[in-house]
Amino acid sequence: MKLEGKAKMLWIHFGEDDKWNDKPLYRAIVEKCRELDIAGATVFRGIEGYGASTLIHRSHLLSFSSDAPLMVSVIDSEDKVQKLLPFLDEMVDEGLIAMSEVEVIKYVHQDGARS
Amino acid sequence: MLTAGPAKKVTIRVSENHKYHGQSAYAAILDFLFYRGVSGANVVRGIAGFGADRHMHTARIESLSADLPVTIEFVESPEKVEELLPKLHEMASTGLIEVQDTTVVKASEVSNKRAQPSAPALKREGTAKLMRIFIGENDKWHDKPLHKALVESMRANDIAGVTVNPGILGYGANRRIHRDTALHLSHDRPMMLSVVDTEEKLRAFFPILDSMVQQGLVVLSDVDVIKYTHDYEGEGRRKEVRS
Repeated sequence: MKLEGKAKMLWIHFGEDDKWNDKPLYRAIVEKCRELDIAGATVFRGIEGYGASTLIHRSHLLSFSSDAPLMVSVIDSEDKVQKLLPFLDEMVDEGLIAMSEVEVIKYVHQDGARS
Repeated sequence: MLTAGPAKKVTIRVSENHKYHGQSAYAAILDFLFYRGVSGANVVRGIAGFGADRHMHTARIESLSADLPVTIEFVESPEKVEELLPKLHEMASTGLIEVQDTTVVKASEVSNKRAQPSAPALKREGTAKLMRIFIGENDKWHDKPLHKALVESMRANDIAGVTVNPGILGYGANRRIHRDTALHLSHDRPMMLSVVDTEEKLRAFFPILDSMVQQGLVVLSDVDVIKYTHDYEGEGRRKEVRS
């Protein structure tokens, strides 16, 4: 896989409790990205926030059931990202998707470099 | 800052149990006033009262769940009040809002001088580049975690600032899923470093970055910088570093 020059970066914001077909939405999005052979996707968990629903999302320190705000960042060439968008449109019921332009400086991996 | 002269006094009456987006309405209103720069506001809890719904709110011992009337008061310039009213209207919903003409004879002053910064905050605006580096938590550089080594290297190279954010799930160039394990014992989380500086500074750093990052993704994008710093004494260096 090669990625260079101009690319697009997507940031998808939603809640940790959001589901897609009974599966956590963030996991479903990462799996969809892999299925579409997108260059990379990373999920981040926020500690507090609010969004479209204006409900405060907060992660609970002592509980496993948290509804923290989540962000997924996806980077790939414009045509690959465009292929992903219809799926995201269907999967993300309540949330925000933002796209911006980025320049790829480096996209490398070393086979067998990791254990 | 409120100055002596004509002003408006706003009184908002809601009940204690009144909610605004899941939070107490009076607390939400107070937060709103605070963050919108109102010079001062008071919340006063009544001991009994009734309003439009003709329901008697009291604090008598037999009523276990007290739902008392709450009054929020503040004094501000007429323009400021005009600006705040539409939102207050929404937040108070069924409550009452009253505006009176008043005159400020003496404006309150900051009692603790130390509360004010010793030097005015410097605001710098302009365009810069945001660099994002996606690596794994287990990536190493000379036996040191790569994200730590990168931060140290950037500091040594006078890069304006960098923040490391751990992700909870992700994959990248090598198609391998990075995941935060449930028990948080062995971490192999995806890591994102966000770096902001001028394009020249970042481009000058690329060769070093190149030698350190063996696998991962590095992207660059345009950002508008809106930065506040304190002009601490003896830190004049900062001034010439960033523009």
